[in-house]
Amino acid sequence: MTVRFVFDAAAGLAILFACVMVVHRNPIKSVLALVVSFFALAVTYVLLAAPLIAAVQVIVYAGAILVLFLFVLMLLNVPQEVRQRPDRPIHQALSAGAIVAFAAALLAVLRGYGVTPAIPVAEPPPPGDLTPVAKLLFSDHLLSFEAVSILLLAALVGSFVLARREGSP
Amino acid sequence: MSATDVGILALRVLAPVLVILIVLPMLQWVERRGAGLIQDRPGPNRVGPFGLLQPLADVVKFFMKEDLIPSNADRFLYVLAPGLATFAALTTFAVIPYGATLSVRGRAIPLVGADVSIGILYLFALTSLSVYGIVLAGWSSNNKFSLIGGIRSSAQIISYELAMTTAAAGVILAAGSFRLTDVVALQSGSWLSFPYRGWNVVPQLLGFVVFFVSAFAETNRLPFDLPEAEAELVAGYHTEYSAMKFAMFYMAEYINVVVASALMVTLYFGGWSLPGFKPVSVTGVLLSVVIFAVKTAFFVWVFMWVRWTLPRFRYDQLMRLGWKALLPLALLNLFWIAALVLWKAL
Repeated sequence: MTVRFVFDAAAGLAILFACVMVVHRNPIKSVLALVVSFFALAVTYVLLAAPLIAAVQVIVYAGAILVLFLFVLMLLNVPQEVRQRPDRPIHQALSAGAIVAFAAALLAVLRGYGVTPAIPVAEPPPPGDLTPVAKLLFSDHLLSFEAVSILLLAALVGSFVLARREGSP
Repeated sequence: MSATDVGILALRVLAPVLVILIVLPMLQWVERRGAGLIQDRPGPNRVGPFGLLQPLADVVKFFMKEDLIPSNADRFLYVLAPGLATFAALTTFAVIPYGATLSVRGRAIPLVGADVSIGILYLFALTSLSVYGIVLAGWSSNNKFSLIGGIRSSAQIISYELAMTTAAAGVILAAGSFRLTDVVALQSGSWLSFPYRGWNVVPQLLGFVVFFVSAFAETNRLPFDLPEAEAELVAGYHTEYSAMKFAMFYMAEYINVVVASALMVTLYFGGWSLPGFKPVSVTGVLLSVVIFAVKTAFFVWVFMWVRWTLPRFRYDQLMRLGWKALLPLALLNLFWIAALVLWKAL
């Protein structure tokens, strides 16, 4: 019961701070809201008996990518957004409607595939539970794993080429 | 889970944290007397014998100072940042095993806060979060020196974390587990056996050197204390902080030094084990805790020793060292360990 409560609280926090990230006017605060959201998401992963995914979520997203976001925002010193009066209310109404429609469509598709909500577990995962993940990654999903690494390499080379100016070493 | 179990668990988790918090003021005394020793001057020697009561006087001073918040600072983040720094530093100790398994009345009590299957990953997750305390302090102070300190810190910690994690990957590969108790257990065997079961530092000397250097950058200690470089940035990210808020940054730095030392001991120097030492009775287990404490204290002293020996790096030198020297060396170490594991020598 407590596990269920913690799970719901973490999931709620993740959604709440994701919304804060979208609506906050200060970009630095938006990044911080995203950190909280990712952290709450990691908690739900732990409760779903996937500690590896939780750790990777925190290390890669909260610990590295968002720090880079913060670095860029602070370096560029992005000013706080000024709240403007919406000049075309119809746009707002349309986008709100689109969001609801998208959520409904997503739900319908997931239901169609027979996806049911996962149930958080109270018992800690059995020891050595990382081996099955590694086995799957390097057997059944080897092709997609390698494809992703090639994609990342291409992105790395691309950013290197773009960042390098003419004539510089 | 009975009340006794809960009590034992609480004690297991809290004991190392309390010990660290009690030792912290003494570390400050050691650092200042050590500085005196190295620089051929007395150091603090007025308050109590050998200046031993100086830390106490400093603590009282921190409590009595006026607590200022700059008028244009972001108040919420300004207050949050020192707490975040201390919190991230303190929670990292939870997965480090600090002694052998104690058996009392048929109850086996492993002397580690939480023996989780993702131990090392948990550590890296929390160290990567510790940067937020510094970055937020720098940004929320609304001071250009603080901001530059925060920016430097974010770039520095990300760069060195990469080398540090890659070096630690060698240990994970050799142990075949993320669990820190497994890492220690694997290092407590014979040094002459084949496959090798002694301390990791022998086959992974290169990895240890990379880890050691990165640890200095991760804890913002000299020669890598660029985020607070007082010669250029006044006091860097904590320029605007005073009283206990400043003291919390100070504490976070010392806790990080202790945790980094404990981590080096655990990953490369056999944790609580000694060659030929088998903890059997309660005395043996207590001895294992003492062994762990002595090893950790040695590395804490090395941190202080280096501080008063080496000058600060320039920022471009720092980045070049991290990306062009440490990262390739860590990768080389990883290949070497992979080869050893393949030849069944580890």
